[in-house]
This record gives sequence, C-alpha cells and structure tokens, in this order.
Amino acid sequence: MTDRSKTPSISRRSLLKGAAGVAGLAGSGTLLSAPYVHAADPKVLRYLGTAVNEGDEISKKCLADTGIKIEYITATTDDVTKRVITQPNSFDVLDTEYFSLKKLVPSGNIFPLDARKIKEFDNITPVFTKGELPNGKKIGGQGTAPWKVLYLEGANSKTFSATPTEYVTLIPTVYNADTLGIRPDLIKRPISSWAELLNPEFKGKASILNIPSIGIMDAALVVEATGQYKYADKGNMTKAEIDLTMKVLTEAKKAGQFRAFWKDFNESVNLMASGETVIQSMWSPAVTKVRSMGIPCVFQPLKEGYRSWASGFCVSKAVGGSPKLDWAYEFVNWYLSGWAGAYLNRQGYYSAVLSTAKANMTEDEWGYWMEGKPAKNDIKAPDGTLMEKAGAVRDGGSYDDRMGGVVCWNAVMDENDYMVRKWNEFIAA
Amino acid sequence: MAVTIDNTPDTIAPAASGWRKIAVRSIAWLQAGPMTLVFALFFLLPLVLVVIVSIWDYNEYEMIPAFSFRGYTDTFEGCVANLPELCTILKTYLKTLKLCLLTWGLTLMIGFWVAYFLAFHVRSKTWQIVLSLLCTIPFWTSNVIRMIAWIPLLGRNGLVNQGLVGAGFINKPVEWLLFSEFSVVLALVHLFTFFMVVPIFNSMIRIDKRLIEAAYDAGASGWQTLVNIIIPLAKPGIVIGSIFVITIVMGDFVTIGVMGGQQIASAGKIIEARLSALQFPAAAANAVILLGITIVIISALTRIVDVRKEL
Amino acid sequence: MGDKRPRSFYILALFFTAYVLFLYGPMIAIYILSFQGPDGGLTFPMNGVSLTWFGKVFSGGGIVDIGAAFKRSLALGLVVMVITVVLSVAAGMAFRKPFRGASFVFYTAIASLIMPSIITSLGIALEFRLIDDFINKHAADYGLGWLAEGHTTAMGLFTSGLGAHLTWTLPFGLLIMFAIFNRFDGRLEEAARDLGATPWQTFRHVVLPIILPSVVGIGLFGFTLSWDELARSSQAIGSVNTLPLELQGLTTTVTKPDIYALGTLTSAVSFIVIFAALSVILVLQARQRRQGSDAGKGLV
Repeated sequence: MTDRSKTPSISRRSLLKGAAGVAGLAGSGTLLSAPYVHAADPKVLRYLGTAVNEGDEISKKCLADTGIKIEYITATTDDVTKRVITQPNSFDVLDTEYFSLKKLVPSGNIFPLDARKIKEFDNITPVFTKGELPNGKKIGGQGTAPWKVLYLEGANSKTFSATPTEYVTLIPTVYNADTLGIRPDLIKRPISSWAELLNPEFKGKASILNIPSIGIMDAALVVEATGQYKYADKGNMTKAEIDLTMKVLTEAKKAGQFRAFWKDFNESVNLMASGETVIQSMWSPAVTKVRSMGIPCVFQPLKEGYRSWASGFCVSKAVGGSPKLDWAYEFVNWYLSGWAGAYLNRQGYYSAVLSTAKANMTEDEWGYWMEGKPAKNDIKAPDGTLMEKAGAVRDGGSYDDRMGGVVCWNAVMDENDYMVRKWNEFIAA
Repeated sequence: MAVTIDNTPDTIAPAASGWRKIAVRSIAWLQAGPMTLVFALFFLLPLVLVVIVSIWDYNEYEMIPAFSFRGYTDTFEGCVANLPELCTILKTYLKTLKLCLLTWGLTLMIGFWVAYFLAFHVRSKTWQIVLSLLCTIPFWTSNVIRMIAWIPLLGRNGLVNQGLVGAGFINKPVEWLLFSEFSVVLALVHLFTFFMVVPIFNSMIRIDKRLIEAAYDAGASGWQTLVNIIIPLAKPGIVIGSIFVITIVMGDFVTIGVMGGQQIASAGKIIEARLSALQFPAAAANAVILLGITIVIISALTRIVDVRKEL
Repeated sequence: MGDKRPRSFYILALFFTAYVLFLYGPMIAIYILSFQGPDGGLTFPMNGVSLTWFGKVFSGGGIVDIGAAFKRSLALGLVVMVITVVLSVAAGMAFRKPFRGASFVFYTAIASLIMPSIITSLGIALEFRLIDDFINKHAADYGLGWLAEGHTTAMGLFTSGLGAHLTWTLPFGLLIMFAIFNRFDGRLEEAARDLGATPWQTFRHVVLPIILPSVVGIGLFGFTLSWDELARSSQAIGSVNTLPLELQGLTTTVTKPDIYALGTLTSAVSFIVIFAALSVILVLQARQRRQGSDAGKGLV
C-alpha cells in the first residue's frame, strides 16, 4: 500500500469499489498501485494518537489555515506506544506522553526536532522547560517530569540531555494535573486526602487507572498520605519501595476495595456515572462529562497534591529528510499559535503556550479556566454545549494553584521490568 | 516395476494404483497448499520472529538482540523458592484453567442442546439457517460496543439488579453480577457458545436419521439413543467445538480484563501487561509458554477423539 | 421422526429461546439506549427520547469517520469471507486423503488459534518492518527504484491486515470442514467417478451441493470473525483502522450513544442482508430440486 499516505481519498474510493469487486482488489489493486508522486496532492500528515486530543474541529481549522490535511489514526494508549515500535512507518506525527519517551527514544523511531524551527519554543510555559510556574515557583519533579526528557544530546543521540540543547524530543501541547474524582452525593462528607482512596469505607467502590506505572503512583500517594513511608521519588522507586507499595495495593485488592480498574476515558465516566464507583483517580474532562449528564461529580483537590501528565508531538524517524518534515514543523507551529491552545483550555486541559491561547479566548473564559475566577457568563464547551452556569468556579482553582500543586509526573521507572512482574503478581493474588 | 514384460491385468493394477496414489497425493497438496501458504506467510514466519525475540535480552527501556533466557526464567520466578506457596505464573494458569473449564462445560452443555434442537427438531433447512443467523446478528455489532452495554445491564444500578429488587427477590443490589468471575464466565459463554454450536450442528446433520429410527424401532429409549448413537456420532463436532473454546479462552485477555474489572489474572493478561510495558521479549516468551501448554491440552484431546480419522 | 412433535421439542424450543434472549441481552440495552435524548449518556437512565444519535451516524464527522471505517471493514470482511471459504473447502478436501505433512498443517492451524492475538499481531508487524526495511534499502538494486521512492510501508488493510485476519478465520474454516466431511459418504463420489465424471465434475455436481449450506455457514462465520476482530488487527493494520479499532480508539475520549445507534443500525441492516442471503439459498435449493439431483437426499 505504497500510496496510502498520499492519496487517502483515492484509496478510500477504491475500497468502496472493493465492496463490490472485493476479490480482485485484494490481489492486485493495492499491492501494485501507482507509485507515489501526485503533484496536486494536498499536504497530508498521518497523526497517530488517542482520541482525547484528536478534535475534528482542530483538523478542519488546520486544513483551512495551513492547507495541511490531518489524518487521524486513533488507537488506545497502549496501542499507540506499541505501534511506534512495531510500525514506525505507518504514521508521521505522533501524539504521546512524556513518560513514554523513556521507551520510545531508545527504539530509534523518533526524529529529534530542531528547537530553532519552532516559532513559539521560547514562549512554551516554563513548566516544561524549567519545572517552574510562570511566576517562578518551583513545582514537583518526581517521576518522568517533562524537562528531564525534553532534550537529546545530539541529532542522532538516544541519550537525554539534562541541559537545554536544540534537539527536542517532543513538543508539548497539552497537560493537566490529575487527582481523585468523587461523587459527593454518595460520599456525603468532605474528602481532602489521597488516603481516602484506600479507605475501607469505600470498599468495592474505588478505582484506579489500569496502567501499572500510574496505578502504583496513586498507591504511593496513599502510602505517603497515611504516613507509612516517604518516597525519595514516587516515579522511580527502588525494588524495596515497589514491594512495599504493591503490598498495600494487594491488601486493598484482597479486601475488595476496588470495583474495577479503568482503562480508558469512557470507562472512567461510565463507572462514575453509573455509581459503580464513588471515588477514583480521574481526568478533569471526564469529571466534566459526568457532570454534564446531571450527575454530581467533583474533581477533588487534595492536600498532598496532584499527579501530572503532559503530552505533545513527536515526529517519526521515517519523516526525517522528506517534505513531510517541513509540513510537520508547519503543523506544530500552527498548533502552538493559539487557536488549538484555546480549544484545549476550553475542555479543561492546559495549553503549552499560554500567551497565544489567551489571545484566542474571551476574558471571561480565561478567568474561569485559568485564573480560578467565577464565570461571568455560562461556560460552553467547544461544541457549544453548556458546561457550567454563570457564577461557577473551577474545581481546584487557578492554573497556578493546580499546576503549582503538582508533586509528581506520570513515569516509567528504572525498575519498570520488576514493577510489571510485581503487578502481574498483584493481579494474581 | 511398472513396466513389466507381459501385460496381464495383475501387474498393471498395482502400477496404476501407485501412480494414482501419487496423483492423489499431489492433488491433496494442491488443495492444502494455498491455506498452508497463508499460514506460512502470516503465522509461521511471524511465529519464528516471535520465538527469536523471546530469547532476546532486554533492559528497562529497550530490546537487546543478544541471547538470553531471561524472558523465560523471569516468568517462573519464585516457583521453587517460594514453595509451598504458589508462584505467580502457576496461580495465573490455575485461574485461567478454572475459567476455561467453567466456560467449556457451560458452552458444551448449552451448545450441544442448541445444536441438537437445530439439527433434529427444526425440520426445514431454511428454518435452520434463519435460526442460526438469528444467533449471529448480535456479533455484527462490535464487541467494543457490546462490552460497554454490560454495565447498564449487570451493574449495581443496572437493569437486572433493578428488576430483582423491584420483584422483591433481593433487598439491595447484588455486587457479584459485574466485575467478578461470574461476569467473566457469563461473558465468555455469551461470546463463545456459538463456536460450540456450529461444529456440533454440522456433525449432527451428518447422522443418518434412519439410524435413529432403527434404534427407536429396536425399543431404545430416547436417553439410550442419545448416549449410544447421537453423542458418539457427534463426538468430532464436540471435540472441534471444544478446541475452539479452549484455545480462545486460554489466550483471552480482553473479556477477562473488562468483565473482571482488570483484577482477575489470566495467561493472556500477563502477556498484555508485558506488551503494554513494551517488554516484548518477556511477552513473547510468555506467549511461547502459553502456546506449548495449550498445544499439549489440545493434542491430548485429539488423542481421545481423532477429528481427522473419519473424513 | 414422527409427525407429532415430541415433548422434547417444546422443552428444547424453550431452551433455545432462552439462549437467544441471553444472546440479545446486551443488545436490548443497546437498542433502547440508542434512542437516548441529546444529553443522554451510555448508561441508564434515559434522558429523553430522540433520533439524534442516528443522525450523528449518518452525518459523519466527529474524530473518526465511522462510515469510511464501516466500509473498510465490510470490504475486508467480504474478502476474508471469500478466501476463507475457498481455502477451507480446498484444504478440507485435501484432508480426506492421506498426505505427508497433514499433521503439520493441522497443528499449524491449531497453533494459530492458540497464539494470543496480540502476539500474532506483533509478529506480523515485525515481519512487515523487515519487508519495509528491505524495500527501502534494496529495491533500487533490483531496478525497482520506483517502489522504494516514497515508500512508507507495505502494511495495510489488504496486505498485513488481510493476513492477520486469515490466521484467525482459516483455522475455524478448516476445523468446521472436518465436522462437515465427518463420515461423508465416499460412495457417492465413487459412483460419480464410475459414471465417468472428472474430479471437478464430481466435486461440482456431487460434493458441493451436499455441503453447500454448511459452506455458506463457514462464509458467514468467517465474515463475522473478521468483522469483529480487534486484537489481531491492532498492530498489523498499517495507517488505516478497521471499524472495531476505530470504535476502541473512540473510547479513549468522550463516547456518545452514537456508537449504540451504529449497533442498532447494524442489526437492522443485518436483517435485510440475511433476508437477501436467504433468498439466494432458497433459489439455489429450488434449482437443485429442479435438476433432480438426488445426491444429498438421504442426508438432508
């Protein structure tokens, strides 16, 4: 399928034909299809990622503004990272999280981008580049914090550089701080600590994320909150620390604490909305979604702080040296130029370049989403549906309050292999 | 040998049958060839690659193309040292086998009677087809969608619980309907009973009805006919259906994962956890182990009933 | 069988009905919830009643082009169906004669069933990576420079994707053929041969009419397996997803009842397709009767 990437509409049409004359198509049509060059083709980028960041509006706006056609390849979080390893030729731009980089960069399938070609690179929030808020306050850096894996030592290096270089692994686009989501109507009392996640009071009604490296960090937050142990780095535990944390998790599991572990956004919403769980680690937009169905749900700030994540764009090694590389830069530059940032902010995420996003939002929107101010008018989602009524204040407050409260980042540990083995043991217990 | 001096029919016959045998064999090869080729390209070659990867080394972040049995040895970690306590892999396989046996027993019971009904009680072929299709239609809605629908059905506030509470059978919703071994087996039976029905049905319609009539005429009871005629003659179908169900359940991780709330261990889930962490060599090694164990089970099964004997 | 229905008929009919209800359990939830109001979610309670979500399916858009994915999966499913039927029937015929390597082919098919789908998928992906690398490096050496120029990947719906699906459907096809050919009366074929029929004529006019309904069954089975396949495709599909993969991808974000509407539509369309297929079979049967073939009579 040599021409798939450049002539999507044509291959799609030939597939339509395929429904009629299927057998013939399988044999010859696709394998020996015309070679690559079609001068009048639009600029097409194949964008591999999860559906969370793939907005239809984004691709439409991008096409209108830059002439670049974004073709989404939607997959689950697990499948995205696997595909980078197994089929690096099947995508051009990759939307992934920073913590995956520890695994993706050594595979040699990521093309380092040139920071000098990213127009807004210097305006990217210092959260990513320095690990501090725009006001200079340092934030927590446990786990695979973005600034630890943002730079490479050289153009062909697979080694992360601790100090800034011009070779960038992943251009940040969107990030957030995660905490527990709760059903206040069913819990009926204030929640203020991660310790509540494993409180027997919520037996059979709690949930965590089914990604071992993240689930174990939630458990570590509980361990610290109950004062059992203080980790040097929750995102990079020693074997003994893994054993300790897994023991806590195993006891909770055996006691029937967890209803289920959730694997995707949709599952987390359904568990919470249907009342299967009343307390679980959650993403901010998932909480918003539950609330939009008329069900009370709170994205609960906790005194121990947030676990943060960040994602952005990588480029496939296969793109290096082809015209697609220029389009990829053009696309990334467009993405950071403000419209997309505002779009993300309006969903409850945070955008990487704050200044450009602000210019694309109303003062009221900016005040509600970013500054923790009460909304003056109704707050609407990008698709126009009502999210919050006038007067509402965002859970957790302002950008500075939320991102300033981050204590650790989603991570891949050095003892990852051991940890996964222990996770399997935990599941079998 | 073929060309002898005199042309008596006696000497020609074995020569001809010799050629015939070769002809039959080469036809057989031509017939089995295309399928074998597909398997060679898309299963055997990839399998070779998987086996090669399974003996690669790996570190925390990448695969290293150097020989190592780590993928295998790590899997059996603690199996001797922790005795008498069971190690992870044994516990996992015991759980998988348990789920597999339960699913197998239930799909066999349900599948046998459904096939029996379709084969012996539904008289016209047209109705047989219509009813089989009726059983197929739910599978044309993607499993991704059907899986989501189990929550509104079996959940704490789902239809079943509401119905039971409403009818006064229980006071408050029961929890074990969802995210339990019960729900896992229920979903597996739901998915795979039809895999049992199809082969059993196909071997049942091969049973000569006159045989059954003869048995009745000879005074056999319905039960005796069933045990002495129908079950023995439907055995190949039963075994083929069992092969389907056992092989799929042994490697399943999606259904067990979703319906078990990701908290129930299975051989497939170990592999999935390893793959998701991009530890391909360990995942590949676990897959090779699973393949070996399941092949043993299946070959034991086909030793009891040779499904290829009476073709 | 006697003319009066025995009591066991009614008991088993009830049993069968219960099984069908069990099969449709989740589907009924889907059918109802697909009529959710515009603000409704994927779980009960219903938030009004509307046709909004059916409209969403037809208007397309959204992150994923469901319509296009639907057609891709349909095309792939149909190709898989045809290949599965042809190859399974051929191999089924082969296994009726002794041939060297029969056990090998048999256990290969079994192994293909056992191997967890994600691993098969991974293996195929690795294989195609090697192919891609080879094309990129060496195609020019063999005067096939055009192949390498702009080559991205040989993976795709009808290369690696088709192969992955066949490793799933063929073992089923082959084993069901075993059940079909089990104690198949070889004398019918002998009789045909004695009357001077070529092997092809024997197959076409004697064997095929008898096994045809079952072969149609294999086709449907193959299509269904391919249509619903998920894990095996996940790493082996290239840059264009099948419908189940797109749907699974969608669950990583806000998922709306339009996927339920899709399920309801699929069922509705299925009933229509089945009606069409049924007509074809009825016509075939009528023709068989007209031709007066008595080949299968003793068995049906």
